[in-house]
Amino acid sequence: MSNLPADLKDRIESLIASDRVVLFMKGNRQGPQCGFSAQVVQILDRLVPDYTTIDVLSDPPLREGIKVFSSWPTIPQLYVAGELVGGCDIVKELVSTGEIFETLGLERPSAQPPEIRISDAAAAELQRLAGTAGGRELHLMIDARLQPGLYFGPAEDGELRVTANGVALSLDPVSASRANGVSIDVRPGASGPAFHVDVPGAPQVRQLGAKETRALLDAGEPLVLVDVRTPEEWARARIAGARLLDDALRAELEALPRDTQIVFHCHHGGRSQRAAEHFLALGFRNVANLAGGIDAWSQEVDPSVPRY
Amino acid sequence: MALRILSSPPPEPEELAERLRAAIEQALPGASASVVARGAGHFELDVVSEAFAGLSRVKQQQLVYAAIAPLLSGDAAPVHAIDRMVTRTP
Repeated sequence: MSNLPADLKDRIESLIASDRVVLFMKGNRQGPQCGFSAQVVQILDRLVPDYTTIDVLSDPPLREGIKVFSSWPTIPQLYVAGELVGGCDIVKELVSTGEIFETLGLERPSAQPPEIRISDAAAAELQRLAGTAGGRELHLMIDARLQPGLYFGPAEDGELRVTANGVALSLDPVSASRANGVSIDVRPGASGPAFHVDVPGAPQVRQLGAKETRALLDAGEPLVLVDVRTPEEWARARIAGARLLDDALRAELEALPRDTQIVFHCHHGGRSQRAAEHFLALGFRNVANLAGGIDAWSQEVDPSVPRY
Repeated sequence: MALRILSSPPPEPEELAERLRAAIEQALPGASASVVARGAGHFELDVVSEAFAGLSRVKQQQLVYAAIAPLLSGDAAPVHAIDRMVTRTP
């Protein structure tokens, strides 16, 4: 099986060379279309902040070509530094033996239990939830982009257990290595109280006032101003230069370099804060929220924009 | 409308297992392969060969997959999947 057309072979080689970690998969990082691809994405998300995924479903010649190129009959296929690491089974085996760190050029996490702070309010709420969790343990997970997750689930091999403010937490060793100095609190949210997990060093949503935002735009600073309101609100009032978030813009934004500056706004700043946090979780590092929204813009910057 | 005429019935699992074994042993001189059919185009392989010495597991399996690629390629491939592959040196 060496009948791979030269142009397809060249294309595959340049895809493999396009990033240090390249995953040929079904679907993409945000939406895997097969369970094996999803498992490898989940493993990589925990370990690698930025990697490239190539969707073979949208490219039939590539889907067959990569199998011939790699002498590997299945998808997904993980390449690191130009070398085939393997498919789902081999990646899982490397995780279970711990060799995955060396494969990806990462340091093995130390087994030091992290220092975690939990506020009294958060501790009370977590204790209450633990009482309804049917014996499942509370886990704290922190992915490679320092995005946290709190969930109840069964105990897993190799986890570290720490107790903070009377609450028992389980962390896998990789999450534990990122969790020193984490604080957990409960804060009011738009849909009731919500847990907030602050991870030291994690990128934050910057809060920009209306005047500051205007100054950035006037200075010609490269940024995308994104309006996350409904089309009805957009028809009523809009900020010049802002673009209404729809499926097309969303796809365009997701494909941008992760250091692109994006400023989100809505009516008062609540919805846009959540949108900004979503884009942080996608790996964007320069994300801001227009505090006070278009309402602040009307009052402080441009009275010709109607208030509603 | 074109009809695809099957000139012969699809190969039996035992016959396919034998073709897999022959392809591997031909491509990897001195290798011995045992092949177990696991129903509807699925197989398990256990291959012993000197050729695996010093190679990573993925490289060992690549050698085997390269040997059996003609049986695995295309939509009408008689072999759908290798469910499990063990590669060893003698």
